[in-house]
Amino acid sequence: MTTAENNVTTSSATDSAISISGLEFAYGNRPVLKGIDLEIPRGVAFGVLGANGAGKTTLVRLLIGRLKATGGSATIFGQKPGPELADSVGYMPQLNALYEALSVRENLDFFARMLGLSNTNIRANAVARAMDLVGLSDRADSVMSELSGGMRQRVSLGAALVHEPDLLLLDEPTVGLDPELRATFWQHFKEMTDSGTTILISSHTMDDAAHCNTLGFMRDGKFIATGTPDELRATTGKPNATLEDAFLHLSRSST
Amino acid sequence: MISIDRKLAIATRIAKEIRRDRRSLALIIGAPIIVMSLIGFSFQDQKPVLNQVAPALIATMAMFFVFVLTAISFLRERSQGTLERLLATAVTRSDLLIGYLAGFLLFALAQSVIILLYTLFVVDVDYAGNLWDIIIILLIVTIASVSMGIFISTFARNEFQVVQFIPLLIAPQIFLSGMILPTSQLPIYFQKVSGALPLTYANRALRDIMLRGASLSDVMVEIGVLVLFAIVMLAAAAATVRKT
Repeated sequence: MTTAENNVTTSSATDSAISISGLEFAYGNRPVLKGIDLEIPRGVAFGVLGANGAGKTTLVRLLIGRLKATGGSATIFGQKPGPELADSVGYMPQLNALYEALSVRENLDFFARMLGLSNTNIRANAVARAMDLVGLSDRADSVMSELSGGMRQRVSLGAALVHEPDLLLLDEPTVGLDPELRATFWQHFKEMTDSGTTILISSHTMDDAAHCNTLGFMRDGKFIATGTPDELRATTGKPNATLEDAFLHLSRSST
Repeated sequence: MISIDRKLAIATRIAKEIRRDRRSLALIIGAPIIVMSLIGFSFQDQKPVLNQVAPALIATMAMFFVFVLTAISFLRERSQGTLERLLATAVTRSDLLIGYLAGFLLFALAQSVIILLYTLFVVDVDYAGNLWDIIIILLIVTIASVSMGIFISTFARNEFQVVQFIPLLIAPQIFLSGMILPTSQLPIYFQKVSGALPLTYANRALRDIMLRGASLSDVMVEIGVLVLFAIVMLAAAAATVRKT
């Protein structure tokens, strides 16, 4: 089960990593998500693309169980989102969300412990693996305040995947990264999906979009289109269209 | 077992953070000693006044510093997004509360003991009671204070706003708890307010123990009120601890 195609023949609710139907959410009277339907098979990198305020972060927060839907439903591996799924879900919030006075190793160790890795040896191995994966083994003992923005972002990613989750929910993980680092991140993501991990990644840049297996263009609390990058480019009817062209085209035709 | 590990992880993390912040650590110990010295040495010739003020000052400082420390650290936990990340794990309310209490208690108690010993042996305040009885009273005050810090941090968006709670929550207690003026000399309506303030009871208990050599059983009413206050604050903290 390494790619989306392998899953198509056996698609049922529990085969999906994420299954969402008619999902709605409102902050008071202000609707933010207006009926989202989505099936994400296992082992896929799915990109949620949209402008700021489209509802991307709200969708991610509903999927970690921090917000309660006002309508419709969402399941992850067939279960309702919530802390019970913490073992199999990794979450990288938009803010770096790390402890400034602690070192890289101490931050990862702390979150690994909170994620239930109580055995010291197992945890030490998990932390070493995560640091290696995000290329920070040589900075293991640097405290956060000594690190650059890109390095902090990498520690944040490390904290999300330290327990080797089956699903990663990444809220704008590539914001503020230079092109080189962005490429490194995507290399990690590719390796992870190849080994069966599912990744949902929110972003507003089309650079990220091109790397995803499937994409959902989000606008004003709804998906205006979902499909592979090629399928979405094809909607423009132009041979050399970029994903940006496709997004603009679909945005205009949805209004 | 895992749950105990989470509480321990939070407590050790907090202890580590405080220990690394050397300047804050120096201020935690230094500032109360400066305040105590200021008052202590100003009233050296008026021992009865000093004896009245010092026990109250010990209780006030125990409450005040821990409150500010907890409120700011928990506020940071909310504003920097670490709480959001924590809440995506299987962390529970009790993990957070007990972890925070344990993490701060060690420093708060160390601070209290240092101030106490300084007050008794350097400032030379008269002292008749049992040292452990005093520490137990300060322990209850500290638990209430950590909980109050977590609870109040819900209402602040930044450090500046936390600081604004000091005149609101602490200053009235300093004036009305009998530290400066005996509560019996306050106007009748302020006496009623005084009866509702936890610091009034902490002051009374500490004075009775330190000046009159009372035992814990003599100040059961005061202890009861302080425990009740701690329970109410813990419940308030538990109700708000998951808000981001």
